[in-house]
Order: sequence, then C-alpha cells, then structure tokens
Amino acid sequence: MTSQIFFNALISASIYALIALGFVVIYSTVRFFHLAHGAVYTMGAYGAYTAVKLLSNSGSTGMQAVPLWIYAVATIAAMGIASATGILIDLLVYKPLRRTKATSLILLLASFGVFIFLENLIALIYGNQILSLRTGPVKEGYHLFGAVITPIQILIILSALIMFLFLFALTRLTKIGKAMRAVADDPVTASVVGINPEKVIFFAFALGSALAGLAGMLVSLETNLEPTMGFGALLKGTIAAIVGGIGSLTGALLGSIFLGFTENIAVWFLPAGWKDAIAFSVFLIFLLFRPEGILGKKEEEAG
Amino acid sequence: MDYFIHVLVIVGIYAILSMSLDIIVGYTGIPALGHAAFSLIGAYTSALLSLRLGLSPWIGMFAGAFLASIAGAIFTYPAIRLKGDYLALATFGLGIIAYVIAKNWVSLTKGPMGLPGIPGFSLFGYELKEVWQYLLLILFFVAITYIFLSLLVNRPFGRVLKGIREDEIAIQALGKDISIFKLKVFMVGAFFAGIAGALYAHYITFIDPSSFTLMESITILVMLIFGGMGTLKGALLGAFLLVAIPEALRFLGLPSSVAAQLRQMLYGFILVILMLYRPQGLIGQYKWR
Repeated sequence: MTSQIFFNALISASIYALIALGFVVIYSTVRFFHLAHGAVYTMGAYGAYTAVKLLSNSGSTGMQAVPLWIYAVATIAAMGIASATGILIDLLVYKPLRRTKATSLILLLASFGVFIFLENLIALIYGNQILSLRTGPVKEGYHLFGAVITPIQILIILSALIMFLFLFALTRLTKIGKAMRAVADDPVTASVVGINPEKVIFFAFALGSALAGLAGMLVSLETNLEPTMGFGALLKGTIAAIVGGIGSLTGALLGSIFLGFTENIAVWFLPAGWKDAIAFSVFLIFLLFRPEGILGKKEEEAG
Repeated sequence: MDYFIHVLVIVGIYAILSMSLDIIVGYTGIPALGHAAFSLIGAYTSALLSLRLGLSPWIGMFAGAFLASIAGAIFTYPAIRLKGDYLALATFGLGIIAYVIAKNWVSLTKGPMGLPGIPGFSLFGYELKEVWQYLLLILFFVAITYIFLSLLVNRPFGRVLKGIREDEIAIQALGKDISIFKLKVFMVGAFFAGIAGALYAHYITFIDPSSFTLMESITILVMLIFGGMGTLKGALLGAFLLVAIPEALRFLGLPSSVAAQLRQMLYGFILVILMLYRPQGLIGQYKWR
C-alpha cells in the first residue's frame, strides 16, 4: 500500500515536472507567467491524437494495437505542433507587448486570454467528449515492491528524468543554453555582450513548448484527452515551479516532487476530488511564508 | 419578450459583479482574478439557508453577502502583502479553492449535482414569479450598488484608494495604513459580489459549482476591462456589451455547445486584443501596469 502511494506520487511528480520544466525554461527568459503553456500542452496531446488517427486509419475497432512507429511519429507531431504554437503565441502576442514595455501583469492576463481562446478552439474542433490515445487490449502493469506500475508510467518517470538532465546539460554546456542563462540573469547586460535576447526567447519558446507537447502526449497515453486537460496541468506545473523556486530547473524538479508527494499523501486521508484545493493550499502557504520557493533567493519582487 | 427581459436580468447581475470588482481592481489597482468565489459564497449561503432552514431569501441574501465579506477579509489579510503577479495567482487560488469546496463538500452542497428548487423572492407576501418582476428587483439592486459605490469612491476613502493604485509608497508616507484600506475594499467588493450571487441563485432557482468557475471570474474581469476600469460607468457598459454581443450568436442558429465555446473564445480574444491595443478599455481611467 505504501509503495503504491510512493509510485503514484512519483508518477504525479514526473508529470508535473515535465510541465514545470518547460514552463521554467520560458519563464526564466521572459519573466512572466506564460499561462498559455497549458493550452500548448493540450495542443500537443491533440496533435498526437490526430497523428495516430491519420496514420492508423484502419477503421479501428479500438481493440487493434497500433504499431509502435506510429507512436514515435505521434510524439514528434506532438512536440512539433506544441513548439509551433508556442512560437506563434510569442510572435503574435508577447513580442508586440514586449515592445510596448508591458508589465508582467499585462502579459499574464494576455496569456490567460490566449489560453481561453485556444482551449475553446480545440473544443470547437474536436468536441467536448473524452478521447483516448490508447489502443489494443489493456495490459496488466508490472508488479514492483508490492505496487503495480504500467509501462507508460515508467516511460513518464524516465522522460521527466531524461528531460531534466538534458536541460541541465544544455544550460551548462552549450552556447545557446549559456545565453539563456545570461538573459535570465540580466537581459540588458546579455545584449551588451552580443547576445540577442529575442533569439534566446524564440529558442526558449520552441524548446519549452516542445516539452509541454511531450508531456501532453504522455499524459494522454496514461489517462485520456479532453479540451480542458490543460488547465489542471498548467496549475500544477506553475505551482511546482513557484514552490521549487521559480526560474531554476532544479527548483522545478524539487517543487514537482514536493507537490506530487504532498497531494498523494493527502488523498490518503481525503477524497481525490480535493487534490486541486490541496495543491493550491500548498501554493498559498508558500506564497505567504516563503514566496521565493524552496531553492530561490530572495527577490524584492516576490516579497 | 421574456427572453430579452431575461438577458437584461443577467446584464444586471453581471453589472453588480463588475462594479464590485471595479472598486478592487479599477480603483485600488489590486489584480483580483477570483471574484466568482465571493458570488459562490453568497449564492450557496442564501440558497442553503432558504432550502434547509426555510429562511426568507432576503435574510439569506444578506447573510450570504456578509459571509462573502468575511471570506474576503480572511483571504485578503494574509494575501495583501503579495504584489503584482503573485497576488494575481493567489486570487486565482482563492477562486479554485472555493470551487473545489463547493464541488466536493457533497453533504452540504450536493457537489456537482447542484441545488435545485431554490425558492424565489417574495415581497409583502406576494411571490415574484414573472421575469419582469425580477428585472425590477435586479435594477433596484444595480442602482443601490451604483449609488453606494459611487458615494464611497467620491469620499476621501475613495481618493485614498486611487492613491494606493497610483503610488502605494506615497500614500504610506502620508501615514495611511494601506493594508486596512485594501482589507476594507475587498470586504465591500465581496459583499456586493455575494449579493449578486444570491440574486442569481434565487432568480435561476438552481445553482451548481460550474456557475462559479475561474472562467466566470475572468468573464467578470474581461467585462470590467472592456468597459473601462476605474469608473463605475465603464463597469456597467462592459457588463451590458459583453452579455449582449455573445447573445447575438444565438440568432446565428448555432448549436448551444458551439455557441458557448464561441462565446468563451470571444472573451479570450477580447482580453488579448485589449491588452495589446487598449488596456484602458472603452471609457476607462486606469490601465494595468
């Protein structure tokens, strides 16, 4: 029983981490809460769904397993569509706003407008019903230390871990990664030494949104797709990122683990419907007592 | 004909909501994104008091508004220290927590099934049944809200609020305790939002948590920004236009689910366009900074 809770918490944490990492990549370069990230995640999931439907066109009865290569293509489609969406949002909405020196609050509201727009656009195209990416018969998961875990859940945990290591290496070892950190630290000084902040922001949106697309695809394999799926994901990802210490990759990972475990331990005592309220209570407690998060340094803005 | 009157009743309810949000957001400059939480408290309190205890909706309405006001104070007191984006996200959180409680405290609220059969208002022993009677009732409350709030914002109290909006530090330097002012303004705003929620509950006679989602809070905010923040007329104008325009979608003969989606898309689109090109709205005196 306890090991099942441990695994459930680990899976939740990995899902939150996949969203939070992309969110942080973008946040650290633009310095506002890009709430439309949740809609980008949904776009990724529906991109994968469309790819699977187009490629498998077997008039499927749902019982036939789709070959693995189709899922590989769908993953690329999910990441590509999410990435393109993120870039477009930046170019059409955020970039003009940055030019007018809009504050982060205006950008936050605009991004929420984009979120609402995209979420309802998806609902308009695909309908409100719940869709499924899974095909073939349901397989029993592996038994591990007295807990049951499915292959997809293992894939989610591994993806989160790999993505974290990948981003960590990217920001430490590559030129563009270092440029991202420079812009995150101080955009003005970064441009003085010849880094074009707009280029870095473009890259951050492409990369962070692709991560959101991957998360959307993986989560819809694990559960289902619906147009409103991005909202919960966005909230958890944002909370994890802030609780961990906004702007830091390690913080996003720690925040996700903290949130995943708190929620899953709490639903031991409370019905599962309270999860969102628990997540937000954690968030409010952090905002009040440690607004800089687990890892963050004190900032005058946060206080 | 009843349909048009019904639309006007809804305009009236949103007008109270957007005016009550205006004194928080438009006059004091606090980014509050969870206003539906207060109307939820008003609606559920009033509905439950009349369903469970058989109390008159009039008593229920004021009890609901009072409770919403208390909730506003309890929430604001700690949250007031936060600034900008973080305060915005915290108010988001308030909206979601209220929604989750309404949805999951099944023994009290019946959760997602909602509360049907809420009794309507009665006046001098005469029960209000017709839509136009409710229109008069709502217009009366819109007028009261407007008069009360405009008296409030034109007094020195209101000038301090605007001062907080423009320059918090300068107001502190004048020896004003800004947290007390923010607390009071939240309590007043929450009170009228609670009134609006109770009016809605007793007019529609059915409520469920889905009427008080975060989207609802954002709808109220978009109405306010569209009309113009920092002026009560702007709040009225925004509520009227953004209820009336989407209603026109009905006449295109679209299925209701498509119309609902288009309406929300429109709100999202308007929010983006306003932020990009006209953050002060149509007749606003204040814009987000």
